[in-house]
Amino acid sequence: MHIRTITRALAIGGLLLGATALTTPAFAQDVKTITGGFDVGPGGFPKNFNPLAATGGFTWLNTYFEPLVIYNAELNAIEGDLATDYTVSDDMLTYTFNLAEETWHDGEAFTSADVKFTLDLIRDAASGSVFTGRLGKIANVETPDDRTVVVTLSEADGGLLSVLAQVMILPEHALASIAPESIATSTWWSTTPIGTGPFKFTKYVTDQYVELAADEDYRRGAPKVDRLINRYFENPAAAVAALRAGEIQFTYVEPEDAATFAGNDGFTVIEGDSYVVNYIGFNQKVDLWKDVRVRQAFMYAIDRAAIVESLYGGAAKLANCGYVAPHLVPEGLNDYAYDPEKAKALLDEAGWADINGDKPITWLTYYGSPQATNVMAAVQAMLAQVGVNVVPRVVDVPTYNGTVYQENNPDWNEFSLIYAGLQNGPNPAGINVGLNKSQLPPAGANIMRIEFDDLSAAFDAAIGETDASQVDARWQDVCKVMNEELPWATMWVANRYGVASANLVDFVWTPAPAGGPYAAHPELWDIK
Amino acid sequence: MLNYIARRIGIGLLMLIALSVLVFMLLRLAPGDAIDAYINPAAPLSMDELAALRARLGLDQPLPVQYFGWLRAAISGDFGFSTQRAGVSVLPLVLERIGPTVLLMGTGMLIAIVLGIAAGIISAVRRNSVTDVALSVTSSIGISSPAFLTALLGLYFFSVQLRWAPSGGMLTPGAPFSIADLLSHLILPAFLLSIGHAALIMRYMRSSLLEVLNQDYVRTARAKGVREFWVIIKHATRNALLPVVTLIGSTIGIAVGGAIFLESVFNWPGMGLLLVNAVNTRDYPVIMCATLIVGACVIAVNLLTDITYAAVDPRIQVA
Repeated sequence: MHIRTITRALAIGGLLLGATALTTPAFAQDVKTITGGFDVGPGGFPKNFNPLAATGGFTWLNTYFEPLVIYNAELNAIEGDLATDYTVSDDMLTYTFNLAEETWHDGEAFTSADVKFTLDLIRDAASGSVFTGRLGKIANVETPDDRTVVVTLSEADGGLLSVLAQVMILPEHALASIAPESIATSTWWSTTPIGTGPFKFTKYVTDQYVELAADEDYRRGAPKVDRLINRYFENPAAAVAALRAGEIQFTYVEPEDAATFAGNDGFTVIEGDSYVVNYIGFNQKVDLWKDVRVRQAFMYAIDRAAIVESLYGGAAKLANCGYVAPHLVPEGLNDYAYDPEKAKALLDEAGWADINGDKPITWLTYYGSPQATNVMAAVQAMLAQVGVNVVPRVVDVPTYNGTVYQENNPDWNEFSLIYAGLQNGPNPAGINVGLNKSQLPPAGANIMRIEFDDLSAAFDAAIGETDASQVDARWQDVCKVMNEELPWATMWVANRYGVASANLVDFVWTPAPAGGPYAAHPELWDIK
Repeated sequence: MLNYIARRIGIGLLMLIALSVLVFMLLRLAPGDAIDAYINPAAPLSMDELAALRARLGLDQPLPVQYFGWLRAAISGDFGFSTQRAGVSVLPLVLERIGPTVLLMGTGMLIAIVLGIAAGIISAVRRNSVTDVALSVTSSIGISSPAFLTALLGLYFFSVQLRWAPSGGMLTPGAPFSIADLLSHLILPAFLLSIGHAALIMRYMRSSLLEVLNQDYVRTARAKGVREFWVIIKHATRNALLPVVTLIGSTIGIAVGGAIFLESVFNWPGMGLLLVNAVNTRDYPVIMCATLIVGACVIAVNLLTDITYAAVDPRIQVA
């Protein structure tokens, strides 16, 4: 009797507790809000609020900060943002920017002094900015008037505008009082930042989400939604769960998840070029890879077309050099079509049996997704068929970087081979850092220690080209040398995906490397 | 008793210092540091740039200098700044995560204790009945279900499919605070956390109660005409609880582990999520501070368990 009473009481208690869960939190939805996982995936940089230190996350940062110039949403041209327009001198040494009329979120006027302050701050190494080196060719920044900025370079830099597209302009009146060496650790970034973008920073709930409110005075018109919320997730799968549960309206998704949204009317799958070339890197400090025939054998041994078809569902472009943009790829490249017999013959010619034979070779990567695991297993099997025994080793990003960036007496065999990716666009100069001998550590990030004179000369010519009509031809030269000398076994450029709720209107997102930025015009985003 | 507590606290402090040395060394032995975690391999920085960033964090100093510098500051209550979050002090960051973890763990353990003890009593009283068999089978499934499986299945069914509970977080972003909102986020991870523990407690409670029910004093109580309900609750259950109390104390540590996983799955802003994140990003100051606080909590809970044990059974004395 009493046991039954206890059981009944427990059941009622359980039901009451369960009912609490069923209670949808009731809060006023009188404000239009778009919530997304804007920092999910490889383009994101969650919990970083300092654009000077950002190596990603520009999709979100650009909703409240703005650069002088910006890529268009197709990532094929640079246009003005805070600069209404700009001119470049014939010798490509002087850039003149005409600025838009705008106010900071606190009402102060935006002027050329803010641009000069930002560029000078970045050029001061004490600021801890990741752009200090990339803006190293700026010799001088002048402000003839409030609406004009003139940037003078010490030598031509074909990549300057691409870099400036990621440099968010900062308010001098708010930051000038902070010493450059304290700027990186200032709490200003995550508490009271002000920008010129369409949304104003209102709140950051530590490690949970960031909330922005519409800037009604934005120069291109007041945003159509009242709030933007960026939720943080530990991994893309958690964001996908929130998207399916209707808690967020957008997130980056892994390719295998994107396929599950196909044909679902409630969502829109957004597909785009990753602008990251995947490659097998040959450590040139290891004797195994000195002979170009061995490197060629890798290309012939791997059935890249089959992998793209079966493991990427066709959503990747084969790369025969460091990039795949048609205007940068010359005719007549070797396509290294799958030919295992040729691979075996090349290995025999090179004396592979004496060089290494079937001894295992560590193949290091930071790619841990199921898709990458399958790709590496397929490549491993294909290489085994021609007598090359590679053993994949998957580690997390810090371990990978800690291994390939070792400064003192590195064990080269720990990363004899790598499977990695490098940003190859929108500006192809992105791959220079990993291939030019001028970028050998510690000066650069040529972690595979590639010292090919022809290739370095081709890069230098392309980056230093001052004739705009010849720039594409110079990059085609780079592509040709890469295709012949194979500093890497280039694999493909895969597509990346985002999924948006069908309720979003005029929402623009593209899987740009580092999250862009690009002209997404968040002020036009709306929700039904 | 006071001497015993003082001695245990002293030993606990020594253990914490040993723990800090161990964690510090293990972190430095692991490849990659906070700066390595910072680099996007697809958009790398030069070694010169990385060296400058390392110097800013003091990571270029010899290990003993780094450790004793940290220890000296830690003793004065300064655990440094998070390397992942600009300008954020570690101690407040870690302390503000204790509340959510205690809430999740506490609710999970409370559900586990209530369900486990009640089911254990019912199972023991109705031994060999259909109810007993059903509860035993359910508990076996609960014990043998790994946390990652129950968490992911629970998330999929209750959040994604049924939409009964939010898929993550502690509060709805942008919504004003309300207890209902908090509870709606809490109930699912807490329930999933409780499953394994409830099953374990039920098994212990059942076997312990069955043993007690055969004791002479229980038979005597029945012979005196005490009603069966009070025989079970007042005479049998109280004594049968002893091993269960020990079990609950010792499973707190396991619950911390479970909470770490559940916090990651449900994005619950507790110590577990903070630690997982800090390990992934090699945020040394956060790892050190959080580990010490978790260590201190486990030591304190073990001490409290011993004291509770003595309080529940006056025959036990501590010296």
